[in-house]
Amino acid sequence: MKRGRDDVVDMGKTLAADETRYRTAHEWIGAWLSRRGGGFDSVMLTSDGPLLAALLIHRQTGELVRLQWDARRSDWEETRQPSWSGIGDTLAAEYRIVQERPDLAWRAPDRPRVRGKGVFTYPLGPVRADVAECLLYRLHVMGDEIVRLTLQNGYKERHIRDFVCGRTIPEALPVIARFTTTSNVHHTLAMALAVEDAWGIQVSAGVQTTRTLLAELERASSHLGDLAGLAVSTGLPVPQMEYLHLKETLLRLNFSLFGHRYLRGTIVPGGLTTAGWPPNPDPVGYAQTVTDVLDQAHTIAAGLQRTPSFLDRLHGAGRVPPPTVAWARPVGPVGRASGLGWDVRQVRPYAAYADFDLRVPVESGGDAYARFRVRVQELTESLNIVRRILGGWHPGGLSPANPAVVMGRTPEEEYGVGIVEAPRGLLAYAARFTADGRIAKVGIATPSERNWAVIPDTMANTSILQDFPIIDASFSLSVAGWDG
Amino acid sequence: MYYWHWLKNIVRRPHTTGFPTEPDPDAAAMSDWTAVRTGGSTVDTVLRRSVAIRHVDAGSCNGCESELGLLSSPDYDLSRYGFSFTPSPKHADILVVTGVITEAMVPVMQAVFEQMSAPKRVVALGACPMDGGVFRGAPGVLGRLDGIIPVTATIAGCPPSPGDILRGLLAAVDGVDPAVGQEVGP
Repeated sequence: MKRGRDDVVDMGKTLAADETRYRTAHEWIGAWLSRRGGGFDSVMLTSDGPLLAALLIHRQTGELVRLQWDARRSDWEETRQPSWSGIGDTLAAEYRIVQERPDLAWRAPDRPRVRGKGVFTYPLGPVRADVAECLLYRLHVMGDEIVRLTLQNGYKERHIRDFVCGRTIPEALPVIARFTTTSNVHHTLAMALAVEDAWGIQVSAGVQTTRTLLAELERASSHLGDLAGLAVSTGLPVPQMEYLHLKETLLRLNFSLFGHRYLRGTIVPGGLTTAGWPPNPDPVGYAQTVTDVLDQAHTIAAGLQRTPSFLDRLHGAGRVPPPTVAWARPVGPVGRASGLGWDVRQVRPYAAYADFDLRVPVESGGDAYARFRVRVQELTESLNIVRRILGGWHPGGLSPANPAVVMGRTPEEEYGVGIVEAPRGLLAYAARFTADGRIAKVGIATPSERNWAVIPDTMANTSILQDFPIIDASFSLSVAGWDG
Repeated sequence: MYYWHWLKNIVRRPHTTGFPTEPDPDAAAMSDWTAVRTGGSTVDTVLRRSVAIRHVDAGSCNGCESELGLLSSPDYDLSRYGFSFTPSPKHADILVVTGVITEAMVPVMQAVFEQMSAPKRVVALGACPMDGGVFRGAPGVLGRLDGIIPVTATIAGCPPSPGDILRGLLAAVDGVDPAVGQEVGP
């Protein structure tokens, strides 16, 4: 089933034809590396039965390829895992596979220890800061300088990938919507896209526009929260409070429009559920609220740009080293602040993004200031899209979708893929479904698990201990997205 | 431009809501009237105000963290009630637990609770630490804070709105939910 890029459909059927199955790990890694050198980025690494599969996306055309390796017929002595071969994009998945598949004889990537006179280790976590998710940082310092950072996650693992297997889609969605609540719209949307891909479901233009509205509302409130965190990390509570007020304003707007502060439960495969939406919304009045938020966000950012005590702490702090950028290919605002200028919304438009002339900010500095600049510009872009959609939005014309009806038949394809640009970056779901519509196996690649891989090298890049909270806030990664 | 901002601030009402002690339709709409429950044990009346909160994430989806973070915003301003967040359990009076209670976090939480001096309170925030929510039965998930450390108050919701979190924190200190105005049972 082929669909053109101009259709108002989420995704063309992608894989099927260009799936390649390699017999040896050597060939598999070699093919992966050569694709990666030719404009492709890894999306995810999954293990399903004897097969290991790497899904790749082209950074300009959005083309997807899947490279599979049949691990049964392996050349054990040549089995070098991707991270040892120069592919750091799927490090978190590799850790999971090392535990799942001891037969592969992969070693967990090691973290060399730092020893010597004058080197101290500060453990920070898993209970840390004021309100923070649990993660253990081990900061190795010499004097003030951070010479090494090791991260230990896994304290809050909920095993969502295993937990949803065997469930029907309506049973799985409430769990998927709680992977990371601050990006639950994108998690649900990616799953819905994967289901629509497998079942061959098409959705109307009105639904696509509303999905774009939901996604951009989520991105805007997520970025506002991240900017508030960055402001307070430099000891500036006034912009922090102003940003938090704007975030609360948007969350209340979410509630007035869709009946949930975090927009949960609005997207389902095949469309939207309109059940919980308050009747008679006032889109024009809400568009005015968004305009006010946009104006105020602009004022706060302009104020920060004139505050030397803020800029001095950000400039040059937490620069992601170029070799690490090349190895781990960070995604989202972190990647775009390090010169990796691509965005799923642009190269592989889903929902209604093909109708918007999206401006994707790119900075080359790779430091905390570049990440601040990218977030500020993305926030403006998101709020502009929200304002434009709200201006002509007619929720009354949307009919609710019933997943039981649209999915009441056997899927057209066994596999479905859904890729979106979540607030923190590339988020992908790739699932294999059974004939009766249950999830047989699901691969989930979150932007946080990918971007955490660049943090140790970034922290140990001439930063001092006092920079730590600022660098940490400038990444704004979620631990829930890592410990899924 | 600066003076205009300054003048506007004099005229403008504060962003801060009077909820839960004053009716506020916006905050009340987002609130669940039955969200707050306090434990059966009699709450001692020693702890009054100037209450330090230590938050522990035991497997959350970061929704409750987002709402807890908004308690500091001008819209809720929890410091008005004498609450503050503290980085150290040794200074804490209230332990706020979010998340599904993973096995890995049980010894951590017990250590944090041990490190807090009496009088102390424990608040289970959100559906997850009350009964596991949608994660009940997931591998490595206990899904219940009760039985691991003594729980003073629970706040239902997924996630509970900041207004409900304020009600629950006040109820954990006073034994009375200010929105309902009476003692709330288990």
